[in-house]
Formats: sequence, C-alpha cells, structure tokens
Amino acid sequence: MTNIFQEAAATVANPSIEAWKKAGRKVVGYTCSYVPGEIFQAAGILPVRLRGIGTTSLQIGDAFFGPYICSFPKCLLQLAGEGRFDFLHGAVITPGCDSMRRLDECWRKAGDDHPGIVPDFFYYFDVPHKTEPHGLAWFEEEIRRLIDAVATHFGTPITTAGLRDAIALFNRGRRLLARMEILRAADDNDISGTEAFAATVAGTVMPREDYTEALAHWLDEVEARQGERPPDKRKRLMVLGSISDDMDLIQMIEADGRVVVAAENLCFGVRFAGHDIDTDGDPVAALARGYLERSICPRMFGQYRQRLAAVLETVANARIDAVVLQNIRFCDLHGSENSLFERDLEARGIPCLQIEREYGPLVEKGRIRMRLDAFLEQIE
Amino acid sequence: MRPEVRAYPFDWMLWAALEHGSRAADGTPGELRHLYRYIPYFRGVLDPLLREGEPGILFIKLLSRYLRNILDAHRDGKKRAATTFCFLPGLLYALDVVPITLEIMSALGGLTWKRGMYDYLDYGCEVGFTETSCSSQRGALGAYLAGLAEPIDFVVCDSPGVCDTNANAFAFAAEYLGIPFYHLNYPQVIGEDRSQTYHREDYKALIAFVEEQSGRTLEEERLREILAEAEKQDGLLADLEDMHTLVPTPLPPIYNLFIYAGRFLFSGMPAYTELLEAMHARTRARAAAGKSGLRSGREKLRAFMCYIDHYTLNLRFWDWLDERGIAHMGSILSRTFRDYHGYAGALPEATYTLDLADRDTMIDSLAQMNARSPMVRSIRGPYDQPNMWLDETLAMARVFRADCLIYNGTPGCRNTWGMVKPFARETEASGYPTHIMNDDAFDDRVESWEATAERLEEFFAVRGLL
Repeated sequence: MTNIFQEAAATVANPSIEAWKKAGRKVVGYTCSYVPGEIFQAAGILPVRLRGIGTTSLQIGDAFFGPYICSFPKCLLQLAGEGRFDFLHGAVITPGCDSMRRLDECWRKAGDDHPGIVPDFFYYFDVPHKTEPHGLAWFEEEIRRLIDAVATHFGTPITTAGLRDAIALFNRGRRLLARMEILRAADDNDISGTEAFAATVAGTVMPREDYTEALAHWLDEVEARQGERPPDKRKRLMVLGSISDDMDLIQMIEADGRVVVAAENLCFGVRFAGHDIDTDGDPVAALARGYLERSICPRMFGQYRQRLAAVLETVANARIDAVVLQNIRFCDLHGSENSLFERDLEARGIPCLQIEREYGPLVEKGRIRMRLDAFLEQIE
Repeated sequence: MRPEVRAYPFDWMLWAALEHGSRAADGTPGELRHLYRYIPYFRGVLDPLLREGEPGILFIKLLSRYLRNILDAHRDGKKRAATTFCFLPGLLYALDVVPITLEIMSALGGLTWKRGMYDYLDYGCEVGFTETSCSSQRGALGAYLAGLAEPIDFVVCDSPGVCDTNANAFAFAAEYLGIPFYHLNYPQVIGEDRSQTYHREDYKALIAFVEEQSGRTLEEERLREILAEAEKQDGLLADLEDMHTLVPTPLPPIYNLFIYAGRFLFSGMPAYTELLEAMHARTRARAAAGKSGLRSGREKLRAFMCYIDHYTLNLRFWDWLDERGIAHMGSILSRTFRDYHGYAGALPEATYTLDLADRDTMIDSLAQMNARSPMVRSIRGPYDQPNMWLDETLAMARVFRADCLIYNGTPGCRNTWGMVKPFARETEASGYPTHIMNDDAFDDRVESWEATAERLEEFFAVRGLL
C-alpha cells in the first residue's frame, strides 16, 4: 500500500495528478502550509503543494534569485522555468518567508524569458505573522478574497456546504495521520520513518478522496499486524527543522538499520496531524482559525515556547531518544530556532545533531552521513 | 571572543569613544592635529565629522547623548527596549523608555573600531544565529547576548512581513535573554483602507504592551509634544529634500547619514531638530550661492543608493564619494514620506500625515508614520506592486535627478537579494545604470572595502559615468 504514497511522493508530476488531469479537471499549486487546501477541494480543483524534487540544475533559479537565497524556492523556479509545472492551471504564492515570497516576482519575471511558464491564475495570498484578533481578521478576509478569485477565475462556485464537506474530508485525513503517529509510537512499530514521511507528503499532492481512502486502508493493515512483531530495539529519532520533502534524507538516516525515524516536525510532515478544523458555524472563519492559530512555524515570530512545548510533547509520546535538527542553508528562521531547540532539548537530556544543508539532491551526502554516524555512535 | 573585547562593556566603550571624540571639537586645531596621531583609526570618523562644522559636531554629540541615555537608563528609572532602525522611537520616548537601535549600534561599532564588530558578530553565531543572518542586528546583539552591555528590558520590532532576518534576530534575542517581545506586523499592501486599519490596531496593541512593560501610561500632552517636534522636523526635512533636488545639490554626501541616523535615534526629540536646523542653515546658504555640497565644489555624478549605505571601518564610503565628485542622492533610509514632501505626489499612498487634534488621531498618526518608515514602507510587498520598491526607486531617481542607482545591503537580506536581479533589470530598462554591490555593509570580512571600491570604480568607468 505504501507504494502509492512513495510513487506520489517521489515525482513532481505524479501519476495521480496525471489521472486527475486526464479527467479534465484543474490543478492549482501552492507553496506553503498556510494555504487552506479545502478551498480548492470545494471548487473541484486539485490542490498540489509545490515541490522542488528532481532538480538537476539551478541555472534559471540563479538567474533570478540572488546568491544568498535558500535552494528550495530556487529549485521551484528552476522546475517552473523548465516547464515541469506545466500541469498547473494556477499557483498561489504566500509570504511563508522572505525567500519564498520573492518566488512571486521571480516566477513572473522568468515568464518574460521563458514564455508560458506562469499559470493563468497566479495569486499572492498574504498570510499575517500574528494570531491576535486583527491578524485573524486579516487572514479571514484573505481567505474570502482567495475564494472569490478562484471561483471567478475557474467559473466554479464555492459554497458553504462545499467548504464544510471539504473540511470534513481534510479532517478525516488529519485524524488518520494522528492514528499513524500512535502506531509509530508503539513498541512493536513496523512503520519506517521513510514510509510515514511518504504517506504524509503524498497527502499534499494526491487527490484527497483517493489519499484518505488509501491511508485508512494502509493503517488498517498496519494495525492488523500489531502484536505480531517483537519490540523494536532501535534508537528512535525525531527530525525537526526547515522545509524538507525529500525521502532521501529520512532514508539515509535509517539506511543502516540502527535507528528509526519515529517522529518529525517538518513543514511537509505531520505537524498538523489531529488538529481538526471546526465544521460548525462559518467555514471560512473556521479555516482562518484552524490554519492561523495552530501555527507552529517560526515565521510566527515570538512563539518559540509554544513550538518547544509541541516538540516536547512529541518527544514524550513517541519516546524519542535523540533529535536531528536540520535546516536549509540561508534559512535564518529555522537555523536559529534549531539552536534554541538544541539548547533546550539537550538541557532535558535529549541529544541533538544540528545539520545545515542544501535542499534537493543530497549533494552533500558524504558529509551528512559522516556526521550522522558520529552522532549515532555518541547516542549508542 | 578575544579576551580584550570581553574586558570592557560594548555600550560604554562606544560611548567613551564618541563622547571623547565630541569633546575634541572644543580643542584648538593644533590640539586636534596632535590628537589625530594617537587615534589612527578613529580619526577616519572624527575628521570627516569635525570638518563638517556645526552639523558634524552636533551629530557626534547626538550619538554620544544617545549612548549615555542607554547607560544611565536604569539609574534614571527608565526601561531599555531593543528595537530596529525602521521603528520610529517617538512612542518609546513618550513612555520614558530608552531605545537601543541595534543597527545603529552595529554601524557605530563598525565605523569606529579597527576590527569593527567582528568579535560580536561571531559571538552571535556561537550562541545560535546562522552565519548568514543579517549582520546589522547580529553585531550589536552579539554584545548583548554575551552580557557585555547594560541589560535590555524588553524587545519591540516592526519587521515581520517585511524582513525575516530582522524580525528573527529580535525574536531570538528575546527568547535567548528571556525578556518580553512584541512585534508589529505589516501586510503586503500599503495603501488600502484595510492595511491602514491593520496598522492602527496593531499599533494600539503595541502601546498596551509598552505601557505594561514600562509601568507608564501614555499621556496625551506628552505625545502631542513629541509629535509637534516631529512636525517641525518634517518641515525641515521637506526643505532639505527640496534643496537636494538642485543641481548641484548643496548637501554633502555625509548629510544623508545625519538625516536618517538622527531620525532613527531621536525622531520627535529636540536633539534631532537642532541637528536638522544646523544642516538646514548651511544648506540654504550653499543653495542660495548655487554651490555644491561636495568639497571640490564640482558635482560630476549623482548616485541614488536604492537600499542602504556602507558602514565598515570609518566614514570612508561617504568620503570616497565626496573625493570623486559623486553626489549622494539619498537612500531608502533617508526619505521621510510626509504627505507634503516634494516627491509625495508620485507615491500618494506611501505617505503619512500628522494630526494632533486628540489622542486617537495622534495614535493613528504615529501608526501610519511608523508604517512609512524605511523598509516597512517599500519592501513589504512584491517590488513591482504599486508604491513599492520599484515605484519608489524610479520616483526618487527622477525627482533627485540621479544618473545611476547603486544597491548595497548585507548577505543576510533575503528580502532584497530575493528580487534584486529582476529589479535591477527593470531599473536598467528605465534608463538607470544599476550596480549591485556584493559586500556586507556591516562586515568588511565578506568583501574588503578596497575590493568594493574597485568594483564601484569599474562600474562608473564601464558605464561611462565618470
């Protein structure tokens, strides 16, 4: 069953997107976890989180972005410039961080040199950096504007009932991910970190109904096997930090069988597992509250304590032995937060390894492997 | 960090240099010549300032007073707040809080000491900043995080939504030091009504926070005094900016630094008005005589710095421009954006007004004024959005009759580095030769000033500008 997820997570234009398009339906890409996928679901559009995997050159990315910019948006721009996002009918850019929000200009301007790479629906979604009432009001208004823009552009009405159904469907997926986390925490867990991560990332790129069904089915299978395996004696690692959607990193950590990645808190990962969005009342207000107030990203400045509490809760629930803190180079937000995590986790007796790396193909595999080996020796 | 750097408090050391430097202005020319032999590095700061006469002397005294305020704050029963250059300090002064503007502190250390802020910059990385974070905050913060300065009581900044590295530095510092933190956040659009409402609501929440931290209540009359002073300053700035459009400009390059540094430190306070009045008088006299502000008296080129200036060792950057006959036409930092300023018509939604009628109008004025401070005004949204960086730069280049544009920043500036290449393409297409500097404005180790200067020379030569 995990093959479906691995297939979906391994390529940018995966087979489920192709199948969706063959049926004559629309696809919209988005760049940040603050974009409510429910809006597109309610419009019958497939929301796909944009990923930079499979990039083999940064010629186009480097031509528009400056040298001191994270390689993730550069990879996205590269793929866009190469026409590998041609399957998109639209794209939504957010100010997730400074580098990501500049993808807006760089992508639009790259369209002058590479005609046809900018989707007809190209939208800037302004997410505030605070959850106080005026921040929430702003965000709610932004969601309403996005709904209007999508409905107008694609000629698809987005109704209250449609939004409620979409929220219910997404909630089901969130609850399933929470169930997966419980299974991973068990003594006889047989879900590898790579499988779990693929199952999570797949949720950001697969049609929601198919994904939810496949996830439920897979978890039923896993549950049925419970009790058949001896307790897992491997060390249990958690991976934290900045944007990461590549299976290779998790795979590399688990490669020699000494450790299992038993939990993560990554932007593409299970951060939002179990956080249901209200299905009562106004669905737009519920989406605003759900997406903004549960914010667990350092872009929401001054909320480190809440994030630390969430990490500590996971460390306790998943019985974590050690933590790998990774960030993509030039990511100041996660980079410095990782230092705080290292300080606070180590003070609680949880060993940490901090790694700064490039996004994309593991060009620094040797260096990272060597540091991981040294770290694993330490914790053993 | 080297032991000798640890031996003295950072803020005291900085104050001592500037205070003693400011006293040198009272000496005879002979005494000054003698003194310069003993301060081979600081001379590069002191000499250009004293050479400017009253404005330069007032400027160094203003810096010294600012640092003394920081040192004496607790003795005087006041709290200290770490803040950022794009946060105008009027509100803090109204609540008896002493601002510590980190970027100014970093720049002053960088200008004053032979090894700049290197030790403090590196200490910041030791305790957790990424080495690619912005040097403008990291320098001074390094000293504060190392406990080498009078303690900060709380943190306020206004860069979320505008500059991640800036906002992140303040959030990190608050967490590391275990002190309260509040941030203003700016939407990506400046002109809409809902943005104005957001500015207002956010600013009101900020006032409640600062009142709580300072133990003071915002008094209407005190606020009115500060805004009345700001009103006076805006008038003087409008005149200075008008005169700046003349060919040749009667403003020396260094006046740009005085204009914005003074505003960041003492906006709404009489010390800044006094400095502006001195600059105003000299500029007016030069303008009346049709004289250039350059030492040579011959203006060969007008360069607009579309971002920031260069602050490593000494005031070489401004001196270098001056020596070559290049007029400094300002930067993103030196413009005020009051509604009646000469260039305001080009960017109506990017301006503010001051209304001193009652408490509400004054708070609204402060909120809208702050929302028009440098950086938060014009790089909050996509650069090619109305009223943003491109519009502003082209308007400034036109109004101030610039011959070329120069971008300078820090590698930590993700925001501008994320778009400066397409931005420069458009400024070039609009007819302005544009040079992108690759140095770090606060850290000479990234690219030495000598290399930076050579690249500038090359740009001017290749583009046939000089």
